[in-house]
Amino acid sequence: MSRPTSRPAIIRALLKKELTAYSRDLVFLGLTLVVLIAAPFLFHALPDSVDESITLGVYPAIPEMIGDAREALAEMGATEEQLAELDDIDLAAGEEGLALIEFESEERLRGVIEGSLELWRTESGEMVYRDKEAGDKKPEDAERVEPDIGVAFPSDFIAGVAAGKDDLTVTVYSQAGIGEEIQTAMKSFVREAAYQIAGRELPVGMPDEDTIVLGDDRMGDQVTMQERMRPLLLFMVLLMETFSMASLVSTEVLQRTVTAVLVTPAKVGDFLAAKTIFGTLMSLSQALIILVFIGGVTSANWSLILTVLVMGAIMFTGIALFVGAAGKDFMGQLFYAMLFTIPLLIPAISVMFPGSAAPWVKALPSYPIIKVLVDTTAYGGTWGDAWGSLAYAALWLVVLYFAGLFALKRKVETL
Amino acid sequence: MSLSRIWKVLRKDLALGPRSSIFLWAIVLPFALTLILQVAFGSLFDPKPRLGIVDDGDSSITAAISDMDGIELTLLDDAGEMKAQVEANDLDAGLILPQGFDEAVRNGDRPALQFFVGGESYASNRIILTVTAVDLIREIEGSEAPVTVDVVSFGEAGLPMSRRLIPVIVFYALVMAGLFVPGSNLVEEKEQGTLMSLLVTPVKASEVLIAKWLLGVVLSVVLASASLALNGAFGANWAQVLVVILVAGALSSVLGILAGVYAKDSSIMFAIVKGSGIFLFAPTLFYIFPEWPQWIAKIFPLYWIIEPIWQVSVMGEGLGAVWVELVVALGITAALGAAAWWLAKRMQAQMAGQ
Repeated sequence: MSRPTSRPAIIRALLKKELTAYSRDLVFLGLTLVVLIAAPFLFHALPDSVDESITLGVYPAIPEMIGDAREALAEMGATEEQLAELDDIDLAAGEEGLALIEFESEERLRGVIEGSLELWRTESGEMVYRDKEAGDKKPEDAERVEPDIGVAFPSDFIAGVAAGKDDLTVTVYSQAGIGEEIQTAMKSFVREAAYQIAGRELPVGMPDEDTIVLGDDRMGDQVTMQERMRPLLLFMVLLMETFSMASLVSTEVLQRTVTAVLVTPAKVGDFLAAKTIFGTLMSLSQALIILVFIGGVTSANWSLILTVLVMGAIMFTGIALFVGAAGKDFMGQLFYAMLFTIPLLIPAISVMFPGSAAPWVKALPSYPIIKVLVDTTAYGGTWGDAWGSLAYAALWLVVLYFAGLFALKRKVETL
Repeated sequence: MSLSRIWKVLRKDLALGPRSSIFLWAIVLPFALTLILQVAFGSLFDPKPRLGIVDDGDSSITAAISDMDGIELTLLDDAGEMKAQVEANDLDAGLILPQGFDEAVRNGDRPALQFFVGGESYASNRIILTVTAVDLIREIEGSEAPVTVDVVSFGEAGLPMSRRLIPVIVFYALVMAGLFVPGSNLVEEKEQGTLMSLLVTPVKASEVLIAKWLLGVVLSVVLASASLALNGAFGANWAQVLVVILVAGALSSVLGILAGVYAKDSSIMFAIVKGSGIFLFAPTLFYIFPEWPQWIAKIFPLYWIIEPIWQVSVMGEGLGAVWVELVVALGITAALGAAAWWLAKRMQAQMAGQ
C-alpha cells in the first residue's frame, strides 16, 4: 500500500502541470512576451514632462521696447519716478505659463508663425532662423522652437499708450489651428497690458494670491503622461493575464482533462487552489517585472504597491475562473473575457483624464485598485490614504473570487 | 460556379451569424467605439480650459463665456460645490458672480473678484481663464481699450480630433466585420467539421469562400456606413461614399478569407488578427497625427482603403480624387484573392487526406 499523498504535494504537481500547459499555449505565451517587452518601451516613449506654457513670440524685445519708451517719455517731460516705474513693466512678469521668445523683426515673427521660416535654439541659447526653401541647413545640436502665437507691438507702444495716443494697433499673428481660447486670451492679455501702462486700475479687487489656488499647487510639478501611464500599464498586465488564465481553465473544462485530474488523489479543492495560486502568481510576477522596468517603487510605498497588486492579481484570477468556466469554445471564452474586462478597464482609462471619476465609475470593482496605484505612484499616497480604497477593493475581491470559484467548482462537478 | 449555391451558403451564414459572439461584437463595436472615442478621447486630445461659474445675477460675463468655443463652461448653483470641483481638478477655475456684480463694476465700486484656480490646473489654462475674465470685466466697465488688437491668422484651421478619429472607428468596423467575422466563421466551420460536410455536397470550395467573402463585404459595408453616419460623415455624396466603402469591404474581407483559410483553429486565427493588428492599424494613426510624414502610411495595405474613405466621406472629395487609391486597393484585393484561392486548394487537399 502506498502512503497517502499530502495536499501540498498534490497542489505542487498541479502547479507544475499548469506551468507546462501555459508554456505550450503559444498564443498567450507570445502575447505575454509582447506585453512584457512593449509595456516598458511604451512607458519610456511617453513624455516625462508637462509643457504647461503658452509659447509667445514678441516683437520688439521687451528691454528694447522699455528703452525706447524711456527716451520718448523723458522727452515728453516724465519725472524720474515715472521713468523708474518703467522698470516694473514686464509684459510677462509674474505670468508663469507664458514662455516669451523675442524676435528681431516683425517679418521674422510673422514668417515663423506662418511657417515659412523655422526657428531653432542652439545649445548655447542662440536663436537661428532657417529658411528651408532657400536651402538653409538644419543647425546642429539645436532644438526647434515653435511659438503658439506671436504679438507684434508698435515701436512706440509704451510711450504711445502712456501718452494716450488713440491710433495704436497691436497685431497678433496666429496659425488658424491654434485654439480660439488662446487667440482670445492673447488679445485680452495685450489689452490688459495697455490698460496697466495707461494706469487704469482694475475695476475689481483682485483676491489674495494665496486664496486663489485651491488644493496643492502643482504648477511646474504636474503629473506627466508617463506617471499617468504607470498604474495603467500595471493594471493592463493584470488584466491581460485574465485572458490567458481563462483560456487555460476553459481548455481544461472543454477537453475534460479536469475529470482525468480528479480520478487521481487530487480533489476539486486542490484543483481550484492550484488554479488560484497559478493565476495569482502569473499575473503578479508579470506586474512586478513591468514595475522593475518602469520604476515607481520607493522605500515608502513598496509594501502598499505590493499589497494592491496582490489584491488585483487575485481579483482578476477570480474573474478568469468565472470566464473560463462559462466559455463554451475559444471565441466564446474570448467574448466573455472581453465582456467582463472592458467595464473593468474603464476606471483605468479615467486616470488619463483630469478630474475625479464619475460615481458609477467609482462603483466598479477595479476602481479602488487603480485609485490606490495612481495615488501611490503619482501623488505619494500612503497606507493612511489608501485604507478606505483597500477595504472596498477587498470587498469586491471576496465577491468576485468566490463567484469565480463557485462557478468553476460547479462546472467541474457537473462534467 | 453556381450563384444559387453561393447564395444558400451566404443565407445560412447570415441566419446563423447572430448566434456567434464575434458577429455580435462586430455589430456592437462601432457603436461602442464611437461613444468611447468621440465622447471620452475627443476631450482628452482636445482639452479646453474648464471654467465653473456661480452666477447669482445674470452677469454678462456668463453669457459671453458661454458663446466662446474654446472654454468649457459649467454653471453651478452653489459656491461650495464649485470650490470642491475646482479643488478636485474637475474644473480648472471657478468664478463667483454675486447679484449686482455688473452694476457694481459699472458704478466703479471695485467689488472683490471671487476667482479660484485648481492646484492641478495648467499654468496656461490659468492665464487663459484669468485674462479672459478680466477682459470681460473691463468690457462691463465700459471703458475703451487703449489699443486696438488685430488678429492675423495663417493657414486653415485643423480638423478637430473628433473628425480625425473617424478613420479609427471605420477601421474597426472594417476589420471586425470584414476580417474577423468571415475569417473566424471559416475557422469555426473547420473546427466543427461542418466545412468538410459541406464540401461532400455539390457545393465547391470556391463557392464557400465567395459566400464567406460576401458575408464580410455585406457586414463591413453596413457597419462602416453606420459608423460614418453615427459620426456625421455620411454626407451628401452618399453614393460615392458607398463606392469607397464597397471597395474597402472587398479588401478587408479578402484579408479575412486569407486568414481563415490559413488558420487551423480559433487560437491561431486570434493570434493572426492580434499579431497583424498594429500593421493593419498603423495607417489610421497618420490621421490623428497629420504632422507625421504622410508617405509612410502608404506602406500599409489598409491605407489604400482608409484614405479614399477619409477623402470622400470626411473631406467631401469626389471619386476622381481617389481613383488611384481605389485601383491599388482593387489590385491588392485581387492579389490576396488569388493567394486565398491557392491556400484554399491546399486546405481542400489536406481535408481530403484526413
